[in-house]
Amino acid sequence: MALPQTIPFLGWSWDDLIFLVLAGLMLGGAVMVVIGRNIIRSGLFMILSFAALAGFYVLLGAPIVAAAQVLIYIGAISVLILFAIMLTQSKAGPSRLVFHHQAWAGAIAAIGLASLLVLVVLSTDWPAQVGQGTAAGTTAVAQLLFSEYVLAFEVVSVLLLAAVIGGVFLAKREESLDPGERAGDEPTLGRNQSPPVQADGRPSASTPRQVSGSARSTTAISERP
Amino acid sequence: MPFFTEAPETVATAGSSLDQALVLALLALPLAGFGLTALVGRRMGDKAWAIAVPAIVLVWLAALYLIFQTLVAGAYGEAGLHFRLYEWIPAGDFTVEVDFGVDALTAVMLIVVTTVGMLVHVYSIGYMAHDPGRWRFFAYLNFFMFSMLLLVLADNFLLLFVAWELVGLSSYLLIGFWYRRRSAALAAKKAFIVNRAGDFGFGLGIMAIWTTVGTLDYSDVFQLLPAQVESGAIEGWQMTGICLLLFAGAIGKSAQFPLHVWLPDAMEGPTPVSALIHAATMVNAGVYLVARANPLFAQSPEALLVVALVGTFTCVMAAAIAFTQKDIKRVLAYSTLSQLGYMFMALGVGAFVPAIFHLVTHGFFKGLLFLGSGSVIHAVHEEQDMDRMGGLWRRIGITHVTMLIGSLAIAGIPPLAGFFSKDEILGESFKLGFGWVWAIGIIVAVMTALYMFRLMGKTFYGPSNVDPHTEPRIHESPISMTGPLMLLAVPSVLIGFALGWPPESGLIHQWLAPVFHPLEEALHHGAADYQLLGIDGFLLGASVAVSAVGMVVAWRLFGFLSTMAPRPALVASLTARLNGPYRISRDKWYFDDLNHLLFVRVGGAVARALWWFDVHVIDGAVNGVASLTQGTGHGLRQIQTGRVQNYALGIAGGLLVIAVGYLFIVAR
Amino acid sequence: MTQSLDAYLILASLLFTIGTFGFLARRNAIAMLMSIELMLNAVNLAIVAFGAYVPTLAEDGALIALFVMAVAAAEATVGLAIIIAIYRNRRTPLVDEYASMRE
Repeated sequence: MALPQTIPFLGWSWDDLIFLVLAGLMLGGAVMVVIGRNIIRSGLFMILSFAALAGFYVLLGAPIVAAAQVLIYIGAISVLILFAIMLTQSKAGPSRLVFHHQAWAGAIAAIGLASLLVLVVLSTDWPAQVGQGTAAGTTAVAQLLFSEYVLAFEVVSVLLLAAVIGGVFLAKREESLDPGERAGDEPTLGRNQSPPVQADGRPSASTPRQVSGSARSTTAISERP
Repeated sequence: MPFFTEAPETVATAGSSLDQALVLALLALPLAGFGLTALVGRRMGDKAWAIAVPAIVLVWLAALYLIFQTLVAGAYGEAGLHFRLYEWIPAGDFTVEVDFGVDALTAVMLIVVTTVGMLVHVYSIGYMAHDPGRWRFFAYLNFFMFSMLLLVLADNFLLLFVAWELVGLSSYLLIGFWYRRRSAALAAKKAFIVNRAGDFGFGLGIMAIWTTVGTLDYSDVFQLLPAQVESGAIEGWQMTGICLLLFAGAIGKSAQFPLHVWLPDAMEGPTPVSALIHAATMVNAGVYLVARANPLFAQSPEALLVVALVGTFTCVMAAAIAFTQKDIKRVLAYSTLSQLGYMFMALGVGAFVPAIFHLVTHGFFKGLLFLGSGSVIHAVHEEQDMDRMGGLWRRIGITHVTMLIGSLAIAGIPPLAGFFSKDEILGESFKLGFGWVWAIGIIVAVMTALYMFRLMGKTFYGPSNVDPHTEPRIHESPISMTGPLMLLAVPSVLIGFALGWPPESGLIHQWLAPVFHPLEEALHHGAADYQLLGIDGFLLGASVAVSAVGMVVAWRLFGFLSTMAPRPALVASLTARLNGPYRISRDKWYFDDLNHLLFVRVGGAVARALWWFDVHVIDGAVNGVASLTQGTGHGLRQIQTGRVQNYALGIAGGLLVIAVGYLFIVAR
Repeated sequence: MTQSLDAYLILASLLFTIGTFGFLARRNAIAMLMSIELMLNAVNLAIVAFGAYVPTLAEDGALIALFVMAVAAAEATVGLAIIIAIYRNRRTPLVDEYASMRE
């Protein structure tokens, strides 16, 4: 399929168009993540933003990074976050106040930071730009990974193992250690006693779901890299 | 005895180790008596005296031996017996030893201290027989004896100062013996605090001596300081300063103007205490100090003039106040002040031997008078107001006779003790060129006779004003009380003649001549011959005459034996005519009120101001630091919200500040 | 014009500051976590852009981006586990109600 070299009427190159569209998607998605009232929508917009970012990686000639972006961020982390969202949504629903009371200060800081960064970027004389020709070939990346960066690779694997163990340990439900967990619990209940079956059954129903949810998600991540 | 360290060369060693042991026994016995009585006295019940009194009797015997050895046998030579018990403070250049010395002056002091002390102890057996706290009394009394003996035996200034404070402490304890009585507790406090003012000066004087000559040993100081004055190493005014500082201690302890106010109040203590401490011994410590430091005072005529002025003023003032007091013990207290004034007067004009002579005689007859007043008070059941006495002379005969002897002695009627010593003081002051001192002394002699026989008249003669309830129960005191009275009456009669005859060359002059040798030398006193038919006879006659006049006037006004009836109407009209002086005298020249104004009102205001300053500025600064820290912490705590995002905002802000700062300040 | 290192870096900066704002302003702990992910991605974008425009860094940039992703995954795991643990105690995902660090 033959496309014109430039976009009709505008005279832009297609790459430019793609860039602008992706930039709009990414920044728009990010803004929606940050200001969205509904936390689940925030998560979905984050996926959109990540996807646009993957497009940038392709545009920048790093397909392996783009693939990893899709697999890890969209496939694992976003899903993990969505699970967490579902686990932590209280019955009260989304909070009335999305923002912290210091949001105005955060906004000032963020704007200041942005203008500072833009200023720095614009005022810096970057090294000669070679252009799009230098794509990071997958083979070259793989060779580099297992030769020069092999130590870092191993360290990262150890880090991920530690993260798996830490995640399991943190999210693991400690039996009857936190009295807030069991509604209507008598405070005189012994620590080592197994919790009695509640009449409404709510704690006992929620418990396996939480444990399995977090455990499953952590294992799902750990398999990934 | 290996117990004693070898005395160094500078300390003359005379006397056997037996003598040294006896000197130590003088101190150890009362101290042991104090300790034992304090420990077991409570269980001894009415035999609480059984340790204390024998201890003092033994002390008296030991002292008699030492006095004999020193004064009569001359076993220790002119310098006296000096030895070292141990080195107390060996601190680099500063060494203070526990040295004891017995020379003629100490021996003369020992006569008074141990004799009166022993008799007062015996007297107390009867006087305190019914007091539940008598074991405490005897313990304190022994403690006082220890302190007083240490005071006269000490051979350097620091040990003297320690003893000085110890007698002050025992005086405090004994004045406040009946501590449940508010007035007694207040009087004890007053005595202690007023004494502190003098002791402060004394302490400064001792420090000045040390910084000047680097030693506190009597013999060294008395050689080095005058030598330094002569060589010009220290100025005359420094010498005067040292003397006046020492004299400040003497003023406090001997209750001279302006620190005299504590002594009359000290009469709140039991009467034996008044007799022993506040008449015969402790109040003489000031006189002893000045006499002991005579080589220093000899270098400073200005200081001696101050001594004379203070003594003279106290002498007149106290005698004037004694006229109008109603409390029998207060009259005697002011009389004591007045007689101490005489002594300082004598010291001030340079007549040191008469001063010590008067100290001795006064110790005996004033002790006698106080003990007699105690017997009177005992007889009329603890009544001290002379307006509620009268006509007692037939009822308590022994007390009356002994007190009459004492009164005649103090009034200066020959040949009793007071006559000799007082006459010497007056005669010497006149002959040494202090005519004004002599004139005032003569006036005071009249006043002395007058107030003493006013006391006698109101107490013993005329109609009885005793409370009708106690009237039938008036009784003579037990033998343990009248015995000491009679024993004291003997020296009150004889000691003047024994020591002071012939005038100006009697025994006491021979004894004390070596002690005051440096003074005589420095002041260049001519040794004028005593002319009984010349100037001396005239002076003697004058003093006897005025005393007799005063005595007779008092007899006419207040009665005497059965021959003269008191004339209260005449007294009243005189009082009315002399209302102004009467009121001043009755109100003790307003010194208490002046002190109240000065130290309680003004001093209180100053103290309150300082207190305010302390609370608001000093404490305020301290508390301010604390509350500043607290406030800062409280403020900073607000930052510690515990909310991650607040911290993150801080990080973001900090990042911004650093980056902007780097870009616009450093990178430029 | 548009496709330059400057453009990518500005883009990354904007994404980063959006993430920063989200982290500072959102009350929900999970939203904060998502903001962190955004910031990490902004960094990744900058790294890859550097790799693309500086020839000597082409493969290295991609590799570093991969490492960052791995670390981000670990971070997300632990972070979410912590959030769930806290939520279980506090029954709220709202961070400004967690003030126990204060005591």
